[in-house]
Amino acid sequence: MAVPDEDADLVRSAIGGDDEAFTELVRRHKGAVLRSAARFARNPAELEDLGQETFLRVYRDLRSFRGDAPFGHWLARITVHVCYDALRKRRREEKDISMEVLTAPVADPSTGNGPSAQLARMILDQAMSRLKPEDRLVITLFELEDRSVREVAELTGWSETMVKVRAFRARQTLKRLIGVDDER
Amino acid sequence: MNDKRHDRRDVELDRLFELARRTPPDISGVERNFETRVMARIRESREPWHAWAWRLAPVFLALTVLLAGWSIFYSPVHPADPVAALASETQEVALLDYLTGE
Repeated sequence: MAVPDEDADLVRSAIGGDDEAFTELVRRHKGAVLRSAARFARNPAELEDLGQETFLRVYRDLRSFRGDAPFGHWLARITVHVCYDALRKRRREEKDISMEVLTAPVADPSTGNGPSAQLARMILDQAMSRLKPEDRLVITLFELEDRSVREVAELTGWSETMVKVRAFRARQTLKRLIGVDDER
Repeated sequence: MNDKRHDRRDVELDRLFELARRTPPDISGVERNFETRVMARIRESREPWHAWAWRLAPVFLALTVLLAGWSIFYSPVHPADPVAALASETQEVALLDYLTGE
């Protein structure tokens, strides 16, 4: 676990040209960045790209880190923005996104039977890939990373009302896409 | 009835989220030596311009060889008619005289 004060010292050293200090920052925070980015990446290569792009941006903007909040918070905001940019780029590339309903073997809450955790992730990944980038970002941070509305608002730079609206809209779309068996 | 179904769908979606939260994505492969690769990219991104110039040296060399070959082997076609060639030369001399004010 990174100690914030030590992070600030490392940032100062890195700004002064100490590569070893920046390497230490990457070593300390790579886990958090990669875990967060992995919710948006489709494969390990894409995860590598997102992670590297995040730290490159951090390196470029290091001087704009004021130190009034922990380095980890600042880094989390950059990670979210890099992932959001990647989602928007991907969306532009995939113009013809099918909106057909996925046939998902969703759990029956009364019996407890349902998909394995891995299958649940797969179903959600498929459905979430069809959401608008901003909706996907909000629902990932809110539901999968279990962050509060305020945290999501801080990370994205959107208002809390906007976060709530987008989370609600994303849930509605997901329910439609996952196509829960209504006849059961 | 509709509300009931709506509730059930919410519960099922929440269950999917819960299951997905329980299995964090596997990042072990990417995490290994990640900092080394990041630093390599950073060093690459701050390379001075002359490092790139050196990388482009073979391209410039090939271009020079091509231009040299072209200048050696290319021979412009002279007019077959010697009078026309002479007239062309005379016109050039007249133009030069006019431009230099002689």
